[in-house]
Amino acid sequence: MVAAIRAEHLRKVYPQSTAGVAALEDLTLEVPTGRVYGLIGRNGAGKTTFVRICGTQLKSTSGRVSILGLEVDREDREIRSRIACIPQESRPLYFLNVEEVVLLYLTMRGMDRVEARRRTRDALAELSLTEYAKRSVQRLSGGLRRRTLCAMVLASDADLLFLDEPTTGLDPIARREVWEAIRRTSREQRTIVLTTHYLDEAEALSTRLALVERGRLVLEGTPADLRGRVRYPYRVTIQGSFPREELEGYGKVSEIEGGLLVFTREAEAREIARKALELGVRLSLGPVSLEDIFLDIVGRSIEEDTPREEAAG
Amino acid sequence: MTARHRLRSLFTLVQLNGIIPIRSQPLYLVNLLASPLSFLFFITIVSRGAYLAYGITGGMILTMLSVGTGLQSDLTHYRHDLKFQDIVVASPVEAPVYVAGMALSELVYSLPALAVFVLMFIAEGLATVSSAVVLAGTLVLVWAFASALAFTLATYFQDVRETFLFSPLISLVLTVLPPVYYPLSALPGWAQVIAHFSPTTYAAGLVQGSVGLAPFSVSAALLDWGVLAAFTAGLFVLAALKARWKEP
Repeated sequence: MVAAIRAEHLRKVYPQSTAGVAALEDLTLEVPTGRVYGLIGRNGAGKTTFVRICGTQLKSTSGRVSILGLEVDREDREIRSRIACIPQESRPLYFLNVEEVVLLYLTMRGMDRVEARRRTRDALAELSLTEYAKRSVQRLSGGLRRRTLCAMVLASDADLLFLDEPTTGLDPIARREVWEAIRRTSREQRTIVLTTHYLDEAEALSTRLALVERGRLVLEGTPADLRGRVRYPYRVTIQGSFPREELEGYGKVSEIEGGLLVFTREAEAREIARKALELGVRLSLGPVSLEDIFLDIVGRSIEEDTPREEAAG
Repeated sequence: MTARHRLRSLFTLVQLNGIIPIRSQPLYLVNLLASPLSFLFFITIVSRGAYLAYGITGGMILTMLSVGTGLQSDLTHYRHDLKFQDIVVASPVEAPVYVAGMALSELVYSLPALAVFVLMFIAEGLATVSSAVVLAGTLVLVWAFASALAFTLATYFQDVRETFLFSPLISLVLTVLPPVYYPLSALPGWAQVIAHFSPTTYAAGLVQGSVGLAPFSVSAALLDWGVLAAFTAGLFVLAALKARWKEP
């Protein structure tokens, strides 16, 4: 089966980078078709650079990329007819109304007007934008503008969609609506590459994930695979008084407000739970979150930006 | 993309960047009329009416050049602030269709100004079949080179404010200093030589010659057409080489 994206030894150094820092370094990655593929990493890790190369908007310095079996360097025209993209920090044209943003995008892609109208109506309904259809983009909140852009690309007939931080600025309800629309789109056997630094979003939507840090691929696999590759796959939260020294041998212990947080293995987690019961201390136990995995592997929170001189975009 | 799809894309771009913004803000139409009419007023008053006809033909040339400066600002704004060009690149829309669609969309803004000047052109008794053909051909070439120049320059601008800096300079170099609003003979000899480095000098020469404002000869007209066409072709080549569709 042809992969949606196949990148081999991809490298990118921006011409304006005086220090010659690589935004992407030896990145090899395969994105299967018909799924949501999550690309996670801190700001400046290289996610957007990767998406822009795949979206035929940016040239790579070296390496090979094929999109839906077509070579980015030689067959970009064919690729463009099969992809759609919401760039990071993009905004809809402010003098259009919501319906026009979607409809005109589709007709600009060459879609027949009747089909474009039908798809526009469906996409607006799916993202709860129908009531705003005739409202000018100028009068929309930032979240509604972002949702309008999501409706725009999800309504397209593209086989491969690049959504670069699509839910930034959305409230929790709107995020869930976008998630649902993304899930529905992937059920149509279309591929979605989702870059995000909301790890809950990546985990909720993606069948596979790639973690990028400083332009390099650090980890790749299903969310379960990623859990399996961390030292401590369980997180135990203890609320109340529990002697910390007794926990030190069980894994990685840190203090949190009103208690302790322990990253540990399954057997040790059971042992801690047993002791907590004996002491009558409240405890919660579960598999580590993607946020925990990120922190464990990268050593920093995803919220921390990559230092400016190392930023990859 | 088939020819039909390309046409649909082209019309959508005209609608998206030309017709709809005007619908939401009709003052855009007046905006493009302001500068050419101001020049016309000024040149007519100063010359006590003697240069009215120059002001009318010059106004049309300036209107076409203003299409280019407007295009330059829009392209820069869409590329950097809205990331619209990135959305278009990652779609079936081809670069020449985008260029043509955006350039045509800017032409929509110039229609009222052109209509006013055409009415004056007729009212002043300047319109003949031959002058109308020369005027139309010249304006198309001026629009084409102004659009090509806009695409090339927009590639280098990082912020829309930079375009505000360059637009008056372009206007000065292409319309105020060359003999667009007055006869070439009004310039001193050395300035006439310099004026020939501007494509608008040839455009003005053609239009002025066709309505009897400047001496007409077939050889001079052919030279003017040739140079204007060469400037336009050169700027298109430059735009094709320098304007970025895919970033390096």
